[in-house]
Amino acid sequence: MIQVQQIYKYFDDKCVNDNISLEIKQGTIYGLLGPNGAGKTTLIRMLATVTKADKGKILFHNEPLSTKHIPFIGYMPEERGLYRKMTVVDQLLYFAELKGIKRSDAKQEVKHWMNKLDIVEWADKKMEELSKGMAQKIQFVSTILHKPTFLILDEPFSGFDPVNADLVKDLIIDMKNQGTTILFSTHRMDNVEELCDQIAIIHQGKKILDGEIQSVRRSFFKNEYDLTFSSSDVSIPSHFNLANPVKTSINRSEYRVQLTESQSPQELLDFAYNTKSLIGFQEFVPSIHQIFVNQVSTK
Amino acid sequence: MKNIWVILKKEYLTRVKNKTFIVMTFLAPVLIASFYGGAIYLATTGAEDNTVRKVYISSNSDITNIKKNKIDNYLFLKAPVNKDTIYNQIEREEIDAWLDIQDLHVQTLDSAKLIVKKSLSVVQLSNLNKILRDEVHTELLKLSGISQTILDSTEIKGGIKMVEIDKTGALKRSNSELKSGIGFILAMIIYMFIFIYGSMVMRSAIEEKTNRIVEVIVSSVAPFHLMMGKVLGVALVGLTQFLAWIILSFGLLFGIGQFIKPDVGKTGIPPEAMGNNADLAGAQGFDFIQQLQSLPFGQIISIFIIFFLGGYLLYSSIFAAIGAAVNQETDVQQFMLPVSLPLVFGFIIAQSVVFQSPNGNLAKIFSMIPLTSPVVMVVRIPFGVPWSEVLLSATILFATFIFMVWVSAKIYRVGILMYGKKPTWRDFYRWMKQS
Repeated sequence: MIQVQQIYKYFDDKCVNDNISLEIKQGTIYGLLGPNGAGKTTLIRMLATVTKADKGKILFHNEPLSTKHIPFIGYMPEERGLYRKMTVVDQLLYFAELKGIKRSDAKQEVKHWMNKLDIVEWADKKMEELSKGMAQKIQFVSTILHKPTFLILDEPFSGFDPVNADLVKDLIIDMKNQGTTILFSTHRMDNVEELCDQIAIIHQGKKILDGEIQSVRRSFFKNEYDLTFSSSDVSIPSHFNLANPVKTSINRSEYRVQLTESQSPQELLDFAYNTKSLIGFQEFVPSIHQIFVNQVSTK
Repeated sequence: MKNIWVILKKEYLTRVKNKTFIVMTFLAPVLIASFYGGAIYLATTGAEDNTVRKVYISSNSDITNIKKNKIDNYLFLKAPVNKDTIYNQIEREEIDAWLDIQDLHVQTLDSAKLIVKKSLSVVQLSNLNKILRDEVHTELLKLSGISQTILDSTEIKGGIKMVEIDKTGALKRSNSELKSGIGFILAMIIYMFIFIYGSMVMRSAIEEKTNRIVEVIVSSVAPFHLMMGKVLGVALVGLTQFLAWIILSFGLLFGIGQFIKPDVGKTGIPPEAMGNNADLAGAQGFDFIQQLQSLPFGQIISIFIIFFLGGYLLYSSIFAAIGAAVNQETDVQQFMLPVSLPLVFGFIIAQSVVFQSPNGNLAKIFSMIPLTSPVVMVVRIPFGVPWSEVLLSATILFATFIFMVWVSAKIYRVGILMYGKKPTWRDFYRWMKQS
């Protein structure tokens, strides 16, 4: 659905997006990861038609992305705000109208969301009278009111309290189930694993890896297995390589073993089983958090 | 284009529905009128220095004998012979000045000296000069054998009345003071509106930037549309307010006209005769209203609106760009001063144009320069400006506006997403080239 092809963006002489290519499939959730200042927001702004690339192309349904696609895009920037003196309803109607929705249709949508989020009684309040959490809800509604097919969320969970963060998470899943393509950037890796189908890590303006979340994780699998025993007396035979420091306590010991190419997991399991104290056996696939930290700190 | 309309509507409605706007629309004319009324009242009464100045006068002529009485605020006294006594009295501030006139029987006052402790102001000195000249002139006439009775009977009163011929060949009274007054008020309105509404546009841009709303907006509309929606929306607010003021003033004007007319009717004096009858207060009022009503208001208002819009659009697009570039309102000053200087300068020119020559070269030149033309041209309108000149000036103004919008939109586009350091003129230039 969205193809980013060899994008370059410069600020003065500094290259903030350096030859970035991505492909976001329809109806999926794409996570854009990277440390602060990596160039995520710059890329997101180009996808949201706020700025243009200096070089390269962005395709939206195989067409070069342009302002005509604005009605199909919903964008919630990291730095967000609303008109403090406007009422909730006026604000939502204004944003919807800017996205090209007819006022009468926009009114219907506003009503629907007000009911769904149980905020009907706040409709005629000015934004400055609302709590921060309430304003956050309104902000999110204003982003999706026009039913975008491509939703861009820059750090959607930052600044949200846990209750609202969960609400946003549920709404994101809902929208995905309805066929919306979603791109979001975040620092919170738990959300990434929970929500994303695909990810890309950007560091110092360059894409350092991308792919489907499970295949990315598997690509970092080093044939390691975690074993947990209900005894502290278990010793691992020397032909198995211990990968991690051993954790032992009274009546418990944990090991991570890296198998060689000639060794099979069954072999390790057989040994463990015979100790009669095995309580846990699982392959160790690094989490996105571990991959992220590892990739960013080594490059 | 649809988005410009959506933004225009929002900018217009949020402002017009605002209570402050409604109150100010009705209150501002009253406030301005009372401010000016107060200022004029103070200028004619309070500002005047009523202290009586004692002036010793010594001369070889008879003037000292004649002029021992008070003229205006000067009390002329015959000077003692001893210079030191005079100096001492001046020093002790018992006497304000000593006017020493060596030879009065000549047509020059060059030999006259005024010895003072505290200098007189320019106006005070010129008043004193006038008093002295009149007195010497009278003295010289009397010496030539012309009696006081003849002098009194030949004193001229009143002044010239101007009469204009209109297109139909009809004659009508022309009142320069009235025209100057109207021109000045119109220039004042444009000057104030540009600043008030221009900075409204600027503040709106700053608000969107500091509240971080702008990124959401520019993901929905082109920055140019956002800027134009804002500029045009606020322009409509200004026009609405202006229209309300026109309706209020016309209502008031014709109300007064109706109120005075029946009284005059009863006297049986034909209106055209009223201009010469200075003794009737009612007739004078009617004369004024008639002169006011005889002004080509259709022409004045239409030209005013053209220049009001042109001037406002030109300046507010610059203000919008400044608003988009800065991070907070306090950063605005360094950019506002050079931008508003031409307007302030134009207003000063407009003031001198009104009272000197509304159709002179200075007036013509500055009513062609787009940054000053909105205020200078409107001052000239009541005096009659050829349509060709109005058209040329308006064309230059609107062409400059289009060019400025193009430049400002470029600065606006980049500036609006720039946070952090305070921008400089160099940044403006860079952003302009960048987008």
